[in-house]
Amino acid sequence: MKPTLVSFVAASACLSFAAPAVAQDNTVRAGIYIVRYHAKADDISGPFTQPGLNLDLKNVNTAYFAYIRRLSSGFDLELAAGWPPKTETIGKGPATVGSVPYDGQTIATAKWFSPTVLLNYKFLPESSPVRPYVGVGINYTHFYDRTSTAAGNAASGGPTTISLSDSIGPAGTIGVFYRLQGNWSLDGSFSMAKVKSDLEANTSGVIRKTTINFNPSTWVISVGYSF
Amino acid sequence: MEKLKALGLASLAACVLAACGGNGSAGADVDNSGARGSLIQAPPLRTASLTAADLSARLQSTTSGQQLLAVTGAPTCGVDVHYIQYGTVGGAGEQTTASGVLMVPTGATAPCTGPRPIVLYAHGTATDRGYNLAAIADTTNAASTESALLAAMFAAQGYIVVAPNYAGYDSSPLPYHPFLNADQQSKEMIDALTAARRAIGHVFAAGTTDNGKLFVSGYSEGGHVAMATVRALQGLGTTVTASAPLSGPYAMEAFGDAIMFGSVNIGSTVFVPLITTSYQKAYGNLYNATTDLYSVTYATGIETLLPSTTSLTDLFAQNKLPQTALFSSTTPATGNGALDAALAVPANPLFATGFGASNLIVNGVRVAYALDALASPDGAVPTPQAGVPLATTPQYPLRVALKRNDLRGGPWAPTAPMLLCGGNADPTVFFSVNAGTMQAFWAALPAGLVTVLDVDSAPTGAGDPFAAAKVGFAQAKAATFAAGGQTAVVQAYHGSLVPPFCAASARGFFSQF
Repeated sequence: MKPTLVSFVAASACLSFAAPAVAQDNTVRAGIYIVRYHAKADDISGPFTQPGLNLDLKNVNTAYFAYIRRLSSGFDLELAAGWPPKTETIGKGPATVGSVPYDGQTIATAKWFSPTVLLNYKFLPESSPVRPYVGVGINYTHFYDRTSTAAGNAASGGPTTISLSDSIGPAGTIGVFYRLQGNWSLDGSFSMAKVKSDLEANTSGVIRKTTINFNPSTWVISVGYSF
Repeated sequence: MEKLKALGLASLAACVLAACGGNGSAGADVDNSGARGSLIQAPPLRTASLTAADLSARLQSTTSGQQLLAVTGAPTCGVDVHYIQYGTVGGAGEQTTASGVLMVPTGATAPCTGPRPIVLYAHGTATDRGYNLAAIADTTNAASTESALLAAMFAAQGYIVVAPNYAGYDSSPLPYHPFLNADQQSKEMIDALTAARRAIGHVFAAGTTDNGKLFVSGYSEGGHVAMATVRALQGLGTTVTASAPLSGPYAMEAFGDAIMFGSVNIGSTVFVPLITTSYQKAYGNLYNATTDLYSVTYATGIETLLPSTTSLTDLFAQNKLPQTALFSSTTPATGNGALDAALAVPANPLFATGFGASNLIVNGVRVAYALDALASPDGAVPTPQAGVPLATTPQYPLRVALKRNDLRGGPWAPTAPMLLCGGNADPTVFFSVNAGTMQAFWAALPAGLVTVLDVDSAPTGAGDPFAAAKVGFAQAKAATFAAGGQTAVVQAYHGSLVPPFCAASARGFFSQF
């Protein structure tokens, strides 16, 4: 459930344009965030809880936005975030809990706001139209609008409220910057971040818990404008 | 009086979780005041939801489940199991909370939805503090067997089931259990019923409602509780449709007299601390120090020993309790020949196992109790007198407490049909001393108002409505004997053999109304 950032787009049309005469310090980007989760969670624990109940997450795509500040010819500082998407939590484990369907059911939804700050190092001279880069940074993820679905309520045993703790963790990226004409550029990147959250579900006063490692990997394709 | 053990039901395990989803606005029924009958969570957690087919399949997957199904018949309805928590009182009237189960039949067919009758059920003695009838799918919970019995016997046949776990168990903060305290336990049953009625309508199976018929039952300890509850409900003017106390110690004074004079029942070293602690907490006059009652070996910490999170096996191994030696094998020598003879180790080998070198109860208690019984005898023991009256002027505090909780007290009589079921050879709760005494006590009632059923007897003929239970019991008893001999029969009699057949008889009895 986590976003990351950064640039590249690769090959697309491969137009080659001359580098601007003067390096520009600010760049904004917009594009698409393709988030793929590789979630690993502890089995849900708590009273009246069947062994083996686990969770998974549905992948999401959302809008990507970033601001990049040039620090030097080799280094950029990037602040990236996705438009908060609604992520669906899926039941994973036994087909049913009692007679209530569980495995594969959408049992909860949540939105997250997940900005990431990255220090990127770009290879090749600044005049080069294509510049691969790598970056490291920190991700912060905050969850909100957490909702247990009807299927989730049925599996949990009643109307359920869900809390998810905020996450702060390292992030890393690799990408390629491609200069287009004028101030425009394309960017493509692949990023990963550590996003870990403690989930607590309250059903009629009965508390059940698990810890989820979201392990998101993120592909971004974006268009940038420098000024 | 002993926890149901039989009919394992390992299968139901798999189910757990599940649950409910309350429909409608429940807020008005949530009450955290702790007042009697308050419903602490609404809608209550659904701990399991099983269709009739799933319940059947799960029972069929184990031998014990198959045995249970053979007695209960195939489930007609699905069952939603809910965990309820409610406000009630302790043995001294102190405010507390407790938990229990609400089982709601589900399904589209007529017996499973719409207005349905309620079975208010009281469970048997449990030594495990975590006893929770709502934990039907957790086979590690000591209550899962009795819970499965309730689900298959009643809920899956269209009855709404309400059963408290009792104050002092599960999430209840009460540090002891008001064991066989007729006043407290009947109040708690009524409180659980009140809370459950508030919950019905807010649960997933909101189409299932209370049709106003109320049946009261319970087994062993719960048999006493059930009868006390009928008395209390009648006193409140609440109509009980019919009741079926099963294998209960109703005639507490007579039962106590029988035990103190040497007819020691199986399980007495567990029951006695539960009873004496319960009455000490309620009345405060049984002893000044625990050593007044208990041998020094066991006196320390005895008031907080049961119910326990430690298994009985471990409690015995840790020498917290003697396994069978309720009394000293060196019996009292008072110089009163008749008294000493009455308190001697009995010839009956079963009763004699209640005597040993490392005994629980000191001889002085037996002597004082026996002298009180001789001075103010109970009308039921040793030989039943006309009307089987209670002792007129008992003075010994323990015996006074037993009289206070003897269900001849009032006096009273049921105004709705009552079935008293048990087995005549019950080594734990003596049938004749309890069911027999109540039968004699109510002998003048109109015919048919109180029915006494001994499942350990032959059918009286083709018209015997309980023939199936009697035959089934005989078969189960024979199978137990074949597997383990008479010792196995004695061990299983109260806890395993009788319960399903008396419960089935109760259901059949209720179905007439």
